[in-house]
Amino acid sequence: MEAWLEFGRGPLFRISFTLMVLGSLRIIILQIIGMIEAYNRSADKIVPWGDLWKKTFSWLIPIFNIWRKRPVYSVISVLFHIGLILVPLFLAAHVLLWKNSVGFGWFHISQSLADYLTLLVIITAPLLFLMRVLNKNSRFISRTQDFVIPLLLVIPFITGYICVNSSISATGYQVMMFFHVYVGNLIMIMVPFTKIAHCVLMPFSQFVTGVGWKFPKGAGDKIIATLGYGNKPTWFDNPRIGIVTEAETSQEQEDKK
Amino acid sequence: MELKITEEGLKKALKSARKPEVTAKQKLPVRYHVEDFKVEGRTRAFLEAFAAILKHSNYKFVLDHYIRISAKCSRCTTNCQIYEVTGDEHDIPCYRSELLLSIYRRHFTVAGQMSGRLFGDPGLTDEHLQELAASVWNCTACRRCVNECPMGIDHGLVTHLARYVLSEIGIAPRALVVSTREQLIGDSGNTSAIPVPALLDTLEFLEEDMEEEKGVKIKFPINVEGAEYLFVPAVSDFLMEAETLMGNAAVMTATGGSWTIGTGYFDGINYGLFYSDHVLEKAVQKILAEAERLKVKKIMIGECGHASRSAKYFYPAFCGGKDALPIINCMEYAYDMLKAGKLKLDPNVIKERVTYHDPCNIARPGWIVQQPRELIRAFCKDFVEMTPNGRQGVCCGGGGGTVSIDEIMPYRMEIGGKYKAKQIVDTGAHYVIAPCANCKKQIREIIDYHKLDAELVGLHDLIYKAIIFD
Repeated sequence: MEAWLEFGRGPLFRISFTLMVLGSLRIIILQIIGMIEAYNRSADKIVPWGDLWKKTFSWLIPIFNIWRKRPVYSVISVLFHIGLILVPLFLAAHVLLWKNSVGFGWFHISQSLADYLTLLVIITAPLLFLMRVLNKNSRFISRTQDFVIPLLLVIPFITGYICVNSSISATGYQVMMFFHVYVGNLIMIMVPFTKIAHCVLMPFSQFVTGVGWKFPKGAGDKIIATLGYGNKPTWFDNPRIGIVTEAETSQEQEDKK
Repeated sequence: MELKITEEGLKKALKSARKPEVTAKQKLPVRYHVEDFKVEGRTRAFLEAFAAILKHSNYKFVLDHYIRISAKCSRCTTNCQIYEVTGDEHDIPCYRSELLLSIYRRHFTVAGQMSGRLFGDPGLTDEHLQELAASVWNCTACRRCVNECPMGIDHGLVTHLARYVLSEIGIAPRALVVSTREQLIGDSGNTSAIPVPALLDTLEFLEEDMEEEKGVKIKFPINVEGAEYLFVPAVSDFLMEAETLMGNAAVMTATGGSWTIGTGYFDGINYGLFYSDHVLEKAVQKILAEAERLKVKKIMIGECGHASRSAKYFYPAFCGGKDALPIINCMEYAYDMLKAGKLKLDPNVIKERVTYHDPCNIARPGWIVQQPRELIRAFCKDFVEMTPNGRQGVCCGGGGGTVSIDEIMPYRMEIGGKYKAKQIVDTGAHYVIAPCANCKKQIREIIDYHKLDAELVGLHDLIYKAIIFD
């Protein structure tokens, strides 16, 4: 067991951490490249940057937005995210772990604050899950990962809290730690590949939408040409009933003669 | 007025005007008429069209972003007027977007293709395509849900793209396609098929009317080269909104503005904004051609939301980038003139209570929200707001081109326009001001259908009543 734990905290942690960082960097960079390409392709360079920044911050720090609609769900969700972001990154023990395995660390929060935030996540995550299950709209539009992820995310918090705050047997501690470490690693690997990616992509959202409405000139003609419709788009002559190529058309004309 | 729809209302709203045999032949359970198109192999054709669009346009990085970020929080349900009336999960904006995003995820991402092979997922089915075709035209593309999406997903943009892809395989409302055909390759060159002589007759008739009513000579300057503004209203104004046009002419005359209407092209309507970027580009370029012919300095769009948006936000993209001519809306002009003291309005003419409806296309981006309100406050004593309003304003229910599809009128009345009807009743206003050709038609129908005690006017209709000539 000890060896498994060592592996999970050592090499496996380095691998999952690397996957998380590189995977996230990959999607961020691809996103930025896509945005720049789109911006360059369109002749329209008028982007309402101020408005987009304002919208971005209003959702990154949603103090004013959450009261407007579904306040209970929104407040629970925000509390959940606060604990979820702060504890893994700034818990003293974690900072030490970063330092030992990746070579650098940063400031940490006090243990009592970390405990409160952990409890916050442990309480809010199941609530979020329940609200998703019980609300017919949320349930209807949810995919499997939407149900699974909150429950998965809460496991390291529960096990971590038990390890720190209760006097359990050495074996019990190891079992808890095992789940803590391995589920934690799994989550890190999942970041770039699931909806958890919103933790790194969300700041770009408003800009993506803003630039997304900038259309490139001449794209419509190129699309028609690529599809082999020649000069016959839908509004021209309804060519979609059996697509007629140029060659066929001239053949038909000859036949008529 | 109760917002939630009754069972009887739902039955009326969802009744299809299509003949069952056409629906069966086209295998398309939608409520709008569609011109015949090639039915067999259409899922493949859809994917090919989708691929071609992704290749040449700017949508790919947007979809890549949206499929990763979508958290399915269902917060958009609180801001969708269609969903608030029907309560049907299929009307959740996020669900509608997912219909297209799931196709993208399955067919255009490596992970989707791999898991498709691994688990034997057949990919895009014809049923899915049918659902998409029905769903995207239930949406009014008002983009109010965008305001409440914490992830910043623009469901309006996704719906716009889905309609574009569908239109490339021939699935688009016949009403829009036929009008567009007349506009782009027809003899009249405009969506209402108004020939130039008829236009000139109408304008002459209006000039006589105005002289009689106001005692001032008010002209519609035709084909004036080098004028400051080329005036491009929604072409339906020439047929149905004479008062609005007279208001426009009166404001220009009273303020000494230099403007002209071009007989080469006088139609601001652009259905491309609703279903095809190709049409959007071609229609906007027709304005460019007319502006170049008459050598004008600026372009002024009449009272029309989508015409204003399609010009303001797409003219630079398709007509010269940075050097493109400035686009303004006629309400911006009137507002500037009011501030400059050139436009004088009599505050004693309009005594009834008035309220203002924000057309989504100009209010949602925050472009025209304050200007009309200042104008109204300058001469209407009893002005009440609808709630919500401005950038959060509720769509009339005929947005996204749906108002031009006559066969879905019951849907627009019972579902799309229900929220607006309730808002109008709640204000208790006599005049409902809606500075948009689409909203005007829709709200007029709402007032009729729900038997409301209100009158629909354009902003310039009221300005015409109250304007003072020096």
